[in-house]
Amino acid sequence: MGWGLVSASLLVLAFLGYQLFITDLLNDRVQAEARAELDAELAERREALPEAAVATVELPEPEPEPAKPIPTTTTVPRADFQPESAGEEGSTLGRLTIPAIEVDEVMFAGVSTETLKMGPGHMPWTPVPGQPGNAVVSGHRTTYGRPFYDLDQLEPGDRIEVETAIGEHVFEIREIFVVKPTDVWVTEEKAGAWLTLTSCHPHFSAAERLIVQAELVRGPNFAYAQLLARQGLGDEKRT
Amino acid sequence: MRWLWSRLPGPAPAKVLQMLLIVVVGLVALFFLFEWAGGLLDSGGVISG
Repeated sequence: MGWGLVSASLLVLAFLGYQLFITDLLNDRVQAEARAELDAELAERREALPEAAVATVELPEPEPEPAKPIPTTTTVPRADFQPESAGEEGSTLGRLTIPAIEVDEVMFAGVSTETLKMGPGHMPWTPVPGQPGNAVVSGHRTTYGRPFYDLDQLEPGDRIEVETAIGEHVFEIREIFVVKPTDVWVTEEKAGAWLTLTSCHPHFSAAERLIVQAELVRGPNFAYAQLLARQGLGDEKRT
Repeated sequence: MRWLWSRLPGPAPAKVLQMLLIVVVGLVALFFLFEWAGGLLDSGGVISG
């Protein structure tokens, strides 16, 4: 009985030590290596990017009013648009910085268990941060370097900076809330360009998800995203 | 440990090998157990239907 309790206690201590310290050490090593190679990785991805395009946004047909003459020309808003897509699962995608909670992490493509052990991961079925639509990035809260440990300390108005191959994108937090792990609606399309961070909630539990949603306020595609937002369009209506 | 050692068959070198095997298998099992239980603490925050 006594030895059983001692063994059980040692097992629990070993478990906590592994989860809270060993996984941090493993993550630190991966992050250090990824950070050292980040500039070279981004330069390589930049070379493979398509040329910046001037994109147009479809406007609804103007309805002629009987009292006014029908316009002879229609002005179509135009803005530079630089497309970018994520690489294969586990490849470096960019750098995620949240100054308010001192987060500075290399971000990877994909959200598999193995990828999230390396750092925050980008959901592959959502646009890359800085692209029109709703880019979703997930990260650990209490293990593997705990990049999103203090995510609940953020407030609306705080900035999130993301550096990808096409440049730096600055987002401003609009909403912070808690949902169930199955509430996939938080990953759905949004008008303009958004970044959604997801993490486990509360600390030391995967029962819920903490969601931080931020809107693009500066970056290579900001003007284009604004045009889309004005039209209530996200990624699906790009022309 | 002494209890386990006395029950292992064969001469001392064979017992050492068997003990090593048991320890390695035990550590691997422990690793998978910790990984599984770690997912209950923090799954990475992914949203999925």
